Amino acid sequence: MYNLKELALMDENGKRSDGRGIDELRSIKITVGVVKNADGSAYIEFGKNKIIVAVYGPREVHPKHMALPDRCVLRCRYHMSPFSTDTRKNPAPSRREVEISKVMRESLEPSLILSDYPRAVIDVFVEVLQADGGSRCAGINAASVALADAGINMRDLVSACAAGRLSDNIVLDINDLEDKEGDADMPVAYLPNLEQVTLLQLDGKLTTAQFSECLEKAINGCKSVYEIQKEALMKKYFGNEMELKEEA
Amino acid sequence: MQEIKRRYVIPGDKIIEGNYKPLMNVVKSGNYLISTRVGIAEAGKDGVKVIPLSGVYIPRVNDLVIGKIIDRSSLSWDVDINACFFAHLPAQDVFGRDFSPAKDDMGRQLSIGDLIIARIVSFDRTRDPMLTVQDKDLGKIPYGEFIKISPTRVPRLIGKRGSMIQTIEQATQTRVIIGQNGIVVVTGRDPDGLSLAAKAIKMVEEESHTTNLTQRVKTLLNVQDPVDPEQPESVNASPGTESSTQPQPQPQPQPNNESSTQPQPQPQPQPNNESSTQPQPQPQPQPQPNNESSTQPQPNNESSTQPQPNNESSTSNNSKSGSSSKEKHRNDSSEKSSNNDSDIDQKEKKQE
Amino acid sequence: MSSSKRSTVIVEQLRKQQMLEALSRGKRLDGRDFESYRNFEIEIGIIDKASGSAKVKLGNTEVIAGVKVETGEPFEGLENKGALIMSAEVLPTASPHVEPGPPDEDAIELSRVVDRGIRESEMLDLEKLVLIPGKIVYTVFVDCSIINSDGNLLDATSYAVVAALSTSKFPIYEIRDEQVVDTGKTMPPPITTMPVSITAVRIGESVLLDPTTEEEACMDARITMTTQSDGNIVAVQKGFTGPFSVNQIVQFSEIARIKGEEMRSKIKELN
Repeated sequence: MYNLKELALMDENGKRSDGRGIDELRSIKITVGVVKNADGSAYIEFGKNKIIVAVYGPREVHPKHMALPDRCVLRCRYHMSPFSTDTRKNPAPSRREVEISKVMRESLEPSLILSDYPRAVIDVFVEVLQADGGSRCAGINAASVALADAGINMRDLVSACAAGRLSDNIVLDINDLEDKEGDADMPVAYLPNLEQVTLLQLDGKLTTAQFSECLEKAINGCKSVYEIQKEALMKKYFGNEMELKEEA
Repeated sequence: MQEIKRRYVIPGDKIIEGNYKPLMNVVKSGNYLISTRVGIAEAGKDGVKVIPLSGVYIPRVNDLVIGKIIDRSSLSWDVDINACFFAHLPAQDVFGRDFSPAKDDMGRQLSIGDLIIARIVSFDRTRDPMLTVQDKDLGKIPYGEFIKISPTRVPRLIGKRGSMIQTIEQATQTRVIIGQNGIVVVTGRDPDGLSLAAKAIKMVEEESHTTNLTQRVKTLLNVQDPVDPEQPESVNASPGTESSTQPQPQPQPQPNNESSTQPQPQPQPQPNNESSTQPQPQPQPQPQPNNESSTQPQPNNESSTQPQPNNESSTSNNSKSGSSSKEKHRNDSSEKSSNNDSDIDQKEKKQE
Repeated sequence: MSSSKRSTVIVEQLRKQQMLEALSRGKRLDGRDFESYRNFEIEIGIIDKASGSAKVKLGNTEVIAGVKVETGEPFEGLENKGALIMSAEVLPTASPHVEPGPPDEDAIELSRVVDRGIRESEMLDLEKLVLIPGKIVYTVFVDCSIINSDGNLLDATSYAVVAALSTSKFPIYEIRDEQVVDTGKTMPPPITTMPVSITAVRIGESVLLDPTTEEEACMDARITMTTQSDGNIVAVQKGFTGPFSVNQIVQFSEIARIKGEEMRSKIKELN
């Protein structure tokens, strides 16, 4: 049984079930500014994940008693469309979605300068149109870009990526199958410039040595994701020019 | 201090290392200055700032904003000023101190959906923005082409000392009222002029991060650039002399138009030179030397030529959008623009 | 309980004046005439995990519909038919006025009106979707997510649903040893007709098709009519607080048939 599983997840050449190597991310595509009515928005394809994020705010809080006198309220909703999963998902929010909404909000908050907008609220709506393992990381990546697109004051972007264990191998960016059949899944969110971790969860067993390796690998993944986030933002705002041209 | 090359940044980007003063959209982290926004970073003698390219409008005291009446209570109107908070316009501001909720019908002055140009009199971390329409030429905007742009592009749209918007107004024979909150209302008689002005405004919004924008707007508007007369202006545009070159409110050639109740002929750019001063189907911008105020298109006397249900003469907040408001507005905004945007324009000027 | 409410979208008075002025000249603020639809784009197969899916853009309105096919018990009283379940959610991404939470009356009306068109036209031949009569049938879920809202959600959702259903590939289930087995094969769905809705609003005396959010905020009344391929009317919903004259309704029914045929042929091109 063990061997069977191992065979399915990784072949003798170190190739994974979807053909990736140990340290390889799935393909990632981010588009900024996809929801016309929103103050900021982004669409991400992360492997087979397809996620749309819209940001509204800072704006008035309703009901008013939720407002905080010294800083902005951040609200985050992670939601899966009924057609996003293999078997249809009930549209009512599940306990899993409630938890992910919470950790997602907590992973984004450190990047935001919420004290700049006292008494207001920023809403982050994350809609998973198709889920493929790692949807919380993909959602955080899109949400952070959408927040930048909305022009919220931020100390840094947040980049997220998981690493995990398939028997003896620590691998980057766990997909759906690896999440279900693998031995550990560890999503990490990271402030790439400030070098701080803002989300850390683990599902599975790791030795302390494996844990360190896993964390390091995930952070390297975050750094790669950051480059894609950056490129997406630059493309939206500056077209293909990465450098401001000053004519003498 | 050393000048750094202006460059595009996103939140988290390290702009520069060292002991610089963070001015706008910049925070210190360790020994670095970090951008908090997507925008253009620049460092000068005063410090380091980022001109943002996105974001909702954050109210500032004394800003002129265009707002929409969305509700009213017995003592005030709620006004959507396209910002993180709704603003309030006290009924007393409109009716005077002896306003009585029982006696005075607020609906006669402003109704839901009306647009007003107003000044923010107070706003801080604990209170919602409070508006006044008590200055001359504030109040209801009865008609016009409504355009929404990103509030971050407003300084660019105004341009250095109002240069950009004047270019647009003159070439299209329109009048453009700009709220710092990104709401713009364009008025004018010629539908083609209106749509051309709208096009130009959208162009400024979309391309505001680029250099040579003024030139491209002029091309769009089919304005010939008078090379020589422009020259002195760019010299004047240096920061030191800035204040002295601001247009003064008083040289208004047209303040009396308001009293006249005639439909005005389409306002002409008032040329101090030459030839063709006639109304022309194709607006012909003349080479305009530095005398800015005299080159402004006169506000056409809108209020007198349009039906205005609520604009009762008895009230002081009349909605006539007079000429001097524009001046005031200009002054006000161009100050802002020198805050945010001047350097772009300066750089651009130098190129031109 | 349903109660009168104030409009969430407040149109600037000067925009409204311009709109009325334009309408009096037979034009709309975006330059369309009364019977023109906005730019209409449709993309199918965007969700691999669904049996069928479609994204519709109608102007700035954007809707995704996804079809999931499972098995389950039939509805009571419909023992010999497959089950069809429709839902629509106006996502909070769609506009600043949407509150996250369970669907409000407008979202429920939206999914029920679209559902009615599909059900009453018998677009899906549900009798072909039975495994064990009275016990196990195909259950077809059609779920819609409104991503961005700029008016006429009803038609955009109707087109997305019809496009997703008609282009979907249903899994073939079989009963082996009294167990449901997914054979891994697929079949085209049993489609009999293509119901499409046409929606108009009345503003004063003008009746406009495919309203924007701004036009809906100024409307006196709204009407939606769904016709199937043979031109017969299968569902109607008159909405909002104002009335229509009988004459306006009769005229509109003719427009809905002609315009419906036009939209139907656009959706059919996908197959």
